Amino acid sequence: MIYSAWLKKLQSFLIIVFTWVISVQTDVLRPRGVSLSKASLYSPTKDFTCFDGTSTIPFSYVNDDYCDCFDGSDEPGTSACINGVFHCTNAGHRPQNIPSSQVNDGVCDCCDGTDEYATPELCSNTCEELGKEARAKAQHLADLHKAGNFIRLELIEKGNKKRQDMAEQLSQLEKDKAEAQKIKEEKEALKNELEAKENEALQVYRDAEEKERQKKEEDERQKQEKEASEQFSRFDSNNDGVLTVDEIKVGNIFDKNKDGEVDAEELQYFLGDKESVNKEEFMSITWPLLKPLLMMEQGMFRPAEAEATEEAEDEEAEDVPRVEDMDVTGSEDDNLDGDLSHDDAEDHDIEPDNSKSYDDETQKLIDEATEARRQFMDAERAMREIESNIRNFQQNLEKDYGLQQEYATLDGQCLEYEDKEYIYKLCLFQKVTQKSKNGGMEVGLGDWGEWAGEEGSKYSVMKYSNGVACWNGPNRITMVNIHCGLETKLTSVTEPYRCEYKIDFITPAACDDSNYMQQQTSHDEL
Amino acid sequence: MKALCLLLVLTISSTLCVDKNNFKTCDQSGFCKRLRPFKPEKSQYSLNLDTVIVHGNVLSAEVVTVDIEGEKKNVLWHYALKLTALVDSTFRVELDEADPLYPRYRPELALGEEPTADGLKLVSNSNGKLILVNEQGNKVIITSEPLKIEFLDLNGEKAVILNDNSQLVVEPLREEEGTWSENFKSHHDSKPRGNEAISLDIAFPDADHVYGIPEHTDNFHLKTTTSGEPYRLYNLDVFEYDLDSRMAIYGAIPVLYSHGVKRSAGVFWHNSAETWVDVVNYADATVVSSLVNLVTGGHQRRVDARFMSEAGVIDVFVFLGDKPADVFRQYSGLTGAAPLPPRFSLAYHQSRWNYVDEADVRAVDDGFDANDIPADALWLDIEYTDRKKYFTWDMEKFPHPADMVANLTAKGRKLIVIIDPHIKREAGYFVHEDATEQGLYVKDKDGKDYEGWCWPGSSSYLDFFNPEVTKYYAERFQFNNFPGTSKDVHIWNDMNEPSVFNGPEITMPKDCRHYKAPQDGQDGLASFWEHRHVHNENGLRHISGTHQGMLDRSDGQYRPFILTRAVFAGTQRYAAVWTGDNAAEWGFLQASVPMCISLAVSGVSFCGSDVGGFFKYPEAEMMTRWYQAGAYQAFFRAHSHIETKRREPWLYDAATTARLRDAVRRRYALLDFWYTLFYEHSIDGLPVMRPLFQEFPREEETFTIDNTYLLGDKLLVRPVLEEGVTSVKVYLPGKDSHTVWYDVDSYQSYPANGYMNVDVNIAKVPVFQRGGTIVPRKERVRRSSALMAHDPYTLVVALDGQGKAEGSLYIDDGETYEYKSNKFIYAKITYEPSAMKYSFVNEEASYPTRSWVERIVIAGIKNPPKSAKLSQGGKQIPLQMTLHRGNDVLVIRKPTASMASPWEILFTY
Repeated sequence: MIYSAWLKKLQSFLIIVFTWVISVQTDVLRPRGVSLSKASLYSPTKDFTCFDGTSTIPFSYVNDDYCDCFDGSDEPGTSACINGVFHCTNAGHRPQNIPSSQVNDGVCDCCDGTDEYATPELCSNTCEELGKEARAKAQHLADLHKAGNFIRLELIEKGNKKRQDMAEQLSQLEKDKAEAQKIKEEKEALKNELEAKENEALQVYRDAEEKERQKKEEDERQKQEKEASEQFSRFDSNNDGVLTVDEIKVGNIFDKNKDGEVDAEELQYFLGDKESVNKEEFMSITWPLLKPLLMMEQGMFRPAEAEATEEAEDEEAEDVPRVEDMDVTGSEDDNLDGDLSHDDAEDHDIEPDNSKSYDDETQKLIDEATEARRQFMDAERAMREIESNIRNFQQNLEKDYGLQQEYATLDGQCLEYEDKEYIYKLCLFQKVTQKSKNGGMEVGLGDWGEWAGEEGSKYSVMKYSNGVACWNGPNRITMVNIHCGLETKLTSVTEPYRCEYKIDFITPAACDDSNYMQQQTSHDEL
Repeated sequence: MKALCLLLVLTISSTLCVDKNNFKTCDQSGFCKRLRPFKPEKSQYSLNLDTVIVHGNVLSAEVVTVDIEGEKKNVLWHYALKLTALVDSTFRVELDEADPLYPRYRPELALGEEPTADGLKLVSNSNGKLILVNEQGNKVIITSEPLKIEFLDLNGEKAVILNDNSQLVVEPLREEEGTWSENFKSHHDSKPRGNEAISLDIAFPDADHVYGIPEHTDNFHLKTTTSGEPYRLYNLDVFEYDLDSRMAIYGAIPVLYSHGVKRSAGVFWHNSAETWVDVVNYADATVVSSLVNLVTGGHQRRVDARFMSEAGVIDVFVFLGDKPADVFRQYSGLTGAAPLPPRFSLAYHQSRWNYVDEADVRAVDDGFDANDIPADALWLDIEYTDRKKYFTWDMEKFPHPADMVANLTAKGRKLIVIIDPHIKREAGYFVHEDATEQGLYVKDKDGKDYEGWCWPGSSSYLDFFNPEVTKYYAERFQFNNFPGTSKDVHIWNDMNEPSVFNGPEITMPKDCRHYKAPQDGQDGLASFWEHRHVHNENGLRHISGTHQGMLDRSDGQYRPFILTRAVFAGTQRYAAVWTGDNAAEWGFLQASVPMCISLAVSGVSFCGSDVGGFFKYPEAEMMTRWYQAGAYQAFFRAHSHIETKRREPWLYDAATTARLRDAVRRRYALLDFWYTLFYEHSIDGLPVMRPLFQEFPREEETFTIDNTYLLGDKLLVRPVLEEGVTSVKVYLPGKDSHTVWYDVDSYQSYPANGYMNVDVNIAKVPVFQRGGTIVPRKERVRRSSALMAHDPYTLVVALDGQGKAEGSLYIDDGETYEYKSNKFIYAKITYEPSAMKYSFVNEEASYPTRSWVERIVIAGIKNPPKSAKLSQGGKQIPLQMTLHRGNDVLVIRKPTASMASPWEILFTY
């Protein structure tokens, strides 16, 4: 904490002032370091009250090189207060306020040299010279803005025209869209109608197929039953219609582990918990277990172990496509966001199988339906294209191209800048990139983000953000500072902060003589 | 600046953590593994009483090792023992082989000057014991068999005992070929001279703690190492170093102090090889239980330390104190107190890897003015060079270095540029060509120029052990050899451990060859030093060369400022030290305090950490607390890594910027106080930043406090080092002596009574002025310290119980050696109820300062005077006074006394 702050804390404890003995050279006009606008606050005939009102001191304490006011107002002309302000008139140039810490520190800060009054020989008055230079510079800038403003006006006109064109194109597209929508609906209706007919015709074929399938199934079942029955009879040595444990024990086929005898385990395997099975039970319980063994015996089936292994392999093999399935699903999800009408075609489960042959009548209906489907898809595609165009136009129309559209025609224009190591490319309202001259990948330094100038001059800075991330750091960003110039080009590219790039860009679009003059006036008021 | 992060970019994760695999444990270091378990019942070493000679201040005698296993005593090896009495209660014990196969290395640059002799008398020689005494009355008892050396304090009590645990070892050099080599990771160490390690145990009876042997990230007081690794001393570039660790980092100062209520003592292990130190504190419960036979019940006070070095000779200095200040002085007396630094170097430094070009430097320079924040130096890291070729500039980015420097100096600011010891191997680079032609590089084990990898890529290393190299290197700093530099450009020596990215443990292979002055009959292995012998001294040689170059470039007129990362005993004579590549983490902020206290008591008072942290980005609160802490540490520099977000003080929100400004201004207000402390340090060698127990040696609670310290004997600083706290515990020592402490922000007085809670909002830094002291301040803060030269002083008088106080003030031109010709003011300021006096300690000396006294604040006044008169140069001037606070703070308004001559203020009641 500094002394003055401490003083502020304890100010209420101030008790007595013993004596005061200070003589001060008083400037009757205004104390040193005070601006004209504040001169009236310093009256030599009255005690001085600090601007913050916290205390009142004899006027002789003003500029006596001792800080009495917490706000520094009693020492406008010395370095005594740490938070004071010194005003220099700088006749011939712009007036200036400097911190008290710069008063009498051996450095000339005011062009009139008044801040170094303790060593008058130190600073010469350079205000005339600097003022002249500054005025010449200002004039030059004003001229530049004036000249540039003509081009800017053209840009504004073109920009407005461009926007108007875009708006017109957009409304045309909206019309096209309505038209396309209508066509799509017609085609859809036609498709639905023809598909219904096609479906009807195909139904005949499907019914026939179903019948055929059922017949095959029945044949197979009968065949199985017959075989089982034969086997039952074969083992049912006493032909009592019941297969007993003893009867089974005789059959080699039941010796599953081929150890020469049919043990309890094997019995249980084939009979379940039962002591015997009748024919029906044999059919449902024993036969399905027995059949593979019989087949194996006949060399029609591989051993169980081998089968299990193969199953495991199959499972593994199946896993892979499953993962792929998920991926496919994922990408479909992605597509849902972008393009809703992507794979309608797959829904047509009624679509005929091309490998089959149909009668002429049916084939004709199929061909007609196929053609209708094709036309419907074309109509849909046309619709999507129009919609995508509309979105583009809308986005561009929503972009902020400046108060008067002066930047509209620059959208998409790319400008390059080369330094020792890199080629930088700024594509306006799109992105910024950097490419090493020694080759290598192009690095994104940011995509168009927003106008980022300070309040009152929003359109003086463009911000391109979300570039490629730095190691251990943030994503790259680029700030583009825009200045008035007669041509449109990049004048410098630097990286003042790691991964934060700064581009200086001149363009007539930034020239605005009325605005410029206004700014100058407001500066002068300081 | 930075470690070898570029190499490791691909392997590290985002959390900071050292890769311990890159660095050896004791078990991976051959000699440590060999020696650490060595704990014989009885020492093999004994002194041959027939050979004792005492001449002048030196006792010399033969020591032999004997085979104690057999019946008959077989002498195994002959050694030469030397005991030297030195002034200021210091002894030196040296033990070398009587006739070594090759000479064994002794550091050449650690000691400031040849130590001053004291008297030494042999008092008795009987019963196998020698008793000697120095002129101050310290006795030494040498037991001949087994060899043991006991050093007694002035009360006749044992203070330091050597070889009490029989761990003395000097491995003799032997002629055996090729069986010694060691491997670490993919590195092979040929060890051509074989084993040559040494070891010694040192006991400190009555000690509660031992301190020192920086640089580590552990607490200030050292811990018992029995259950873990020993403390390691081996200068290493450790990327993202660990906290609370005994691992070796950039610096190695082999000095160790003991302290207890009874006394302080210490030893300086004069050795530059890799060294490990074991510590056993008997107060440690686990140790006590394992040392049952030593414990006579209750709490035994004793600490044992044991040094193990890979090479060299036993050369140990024993300090008998007996107060902490005595031992600290005894050590700095040997290795030399830091000379008075240029004043600007004690002010605020702004650094970053890297300020990218001249425009950037300009913008940062202007940023300080625009934000009314003072700054004295801007720093350029490695990127200013032409592709890492030191003594060159990147002419694209820095085409006008002289103009850039002139812009800075116009505001009193300086530029500091980095010069690292590795040299780019590039055809056409003049340093490389000269070094190759003239043979200035360190050689590999086969005698060819050693090639390693560092910032520039393939690099070689100047061999600073060769006087020709130092001469060549020093000449590079001539202004015409290094265009763009001037007396206002100072130097930063980084990477001087040395850092070698592809070397074992990121440093130079131990079998590399350094220059050795040719001597008759010394050829082969005797004709050079191996890197293993000299490693820890390497950085010291480097900065010594830089120092010479900077002196020579201005014909000895201006004081150089150098910052170094590698540290060894004696470093303080040339350079300031910072704690290397830390990170923006609260743990590193906390570690900065004990690390700097430890360095300060080991001679290096000029210490600081990278404010804000080198790696990572500090958010507003951490940045604020770090600036506040840094403002009260000697070396005050903000620095950051190239990949981190920019963080100049004005890049934070306005309220934070205001707090950073306040922290920096606190430093500048006290700059003359700091400068005076460093002047006094150059005279008395006492730490500037002191542990509390230095001033309060009997107050046991202070022995383990290492988050609080004193500046001189006047200010107590307890920086806020914890996140989100609203109050901290501050220990105010001196209850027994009725010490009073004054909060420097409010002048509120607090009688010392141990711990006290202090509220700490984000603007608060707990700093207390000790009652009985006077601190000079300059409240007018300028753009730089140079611009404050003639500004007036505020003298803050903090009264003790008797209503008295005293202080001092040193003034000179801040940059030249003119002060050596009596162009300075060293004033004593005293306050008594009747008068306040400003008088010159050295009346021969004077300095034409235009400074004056604008304000005197007297805190703790009980009976305010009615009137005051200034008496100076025969004139009497009545003064104005106002009372503040509860009528206990008196402010004298504008005494306008000139500081150029003595004055007196007389009070009447």
